Amino acid sequence: MKYKDYYEILGVAKTASQDEIKKAYRKLAHQYHPDVSKDPAGEEKFKEIGEAYATLKDLEKRAAYDELGRYPSGQEFKPPPNWSGSQGGQGYSFDDVDLADLFTSFTKARQGGQHQGHKMPIPGQDYELAIQITLEDAYHGTTVDLSFTVPEYDAQGQLKRVPHTFKARIPKGVTDGQKMLLRGKGGKGANGGANGNLYLNISFIPHRLFRVVDHDIFIDLPLTVTEAALGATVEVPTLEGAVNLKVPAGIASGQKLRIGKRGLPKHNQENGDLFAIAQIVVPAKPSDKERELFKALSEASIFNPRAHFE
Amino acid sequence: MNIEFSEILWLDNQHEVSLDELIALSGLSLQEIQHLVASGALKPNNPAEDHWHFNSHCIVSIRTLCKLKQDFELEPNAFALTLLFLERIRTLELQLQKLNQNSSD
Repeated sequence: MKYKDYYEILGVAKTASQDEIKKAYRKLAHQYHPDVSKDPAGEEKFKEIGEAYATLKDLEKRAAYDELGRYPSGQEFKPPPNWSGSQGGQGYSFDDVDLADLFTSFTKARQGGQHQGHKMPIPGQDYELAIQITLEDAYHGTTVDLSFTVPEYDAQGQLKRVPHTFKARIPKGVTDGQKMLLRGKGGKGANGGANGNLYLNISFIPHRLFRVVDHDIFIDLPLTVTEAALGATVEVPTLEGAVNLKVPAGIASGQKLRIGKRGLPKHNQENGDLFAIAQIVVPAKPSDKERELFKALSEASIFNPRAHFE
Repeated sequence: MNIEFSEILWLDNQHEVSLDELIALSGLSLQEIQHLVASGALKPNNPAEDHWHFNSHCIVSIRTLCKLKQDFELEPNAFALTLLFLERIRTLELQLQKLNQNSSD
């Protein structure tokens, strides 16, 4: 097990008062709390800060932590024999767990043994997993493999990290940022307590053609100058195959053409829409013939796109 | 490997949870939920009925709220206000996403 210096993480001395610990935590929490900070590295830092505070704010846990001794951060160590925080008794290996698991189990054991000698039910811990799926998977529905480890006691009373691996079906119609809940798929409850839940945060792998907002899908539709000026029927890809789209004559860049119900499915409602956004493009290196024709058009045309400047 | 098919709950504005489910999933007490409803921070879909139902998306905001409450020791009034702000931020983020889409045209 790797040592974490909770005092160092909170930036306080080992002799700090509970009030100093609280103040240090509050200051760091304001800086790194994932619901406050947009710093991408903040979430990991906040977890570390939260773990340190959860132990040091509790006098009993702080005493048990201090009893472990002090090592350089990251150094492998083992709690001393008969360590007061141990729930596993003699011969406990501590190989497969980290400090956070140890103090979480410490809390649970304390809660579970509190009520007049009767063991109280302890609910399992909730977990969150971020998963990425393709837009096509969101459209049709998919099955994903989920795998994570949770700390659990084995038959010998040893705390171990146990892999939870299973498949979950993601129904069609999820959106980017959708949250889902798998009941009872979190950590195991103890003493008859319910298992925790697993929360899935679903995001989409960026698509090479489509962008998604809620249930609507957007695609840039490149058009030649002549297609935009004269109108055309062009093929547009959708998640259910290409459709022919009639582009009206005189369309400007940025105008949207709606293809109804070709967006993502909605629960008990019609699908969202697909919007093709006109982008008028010209050849970067026109051929001689093209250059000649563009020049002729330029000379013959009386169109002034900047008339409103005058 | 087990295949999980039945126990998925969508957390969005299309699906509902009962008051009992909300209590079980959020970790809030009945009194705390009643306080949030009384303050207007949390709106049941059927406020006139005895057995309230809520959009399941509120679980996401309420879990965030519970973390903030625990981490910053929010007092009850700040608790309700924070939920209102969280919902407002979520709505604004969605609107911003749509506006960004429009402005990138």
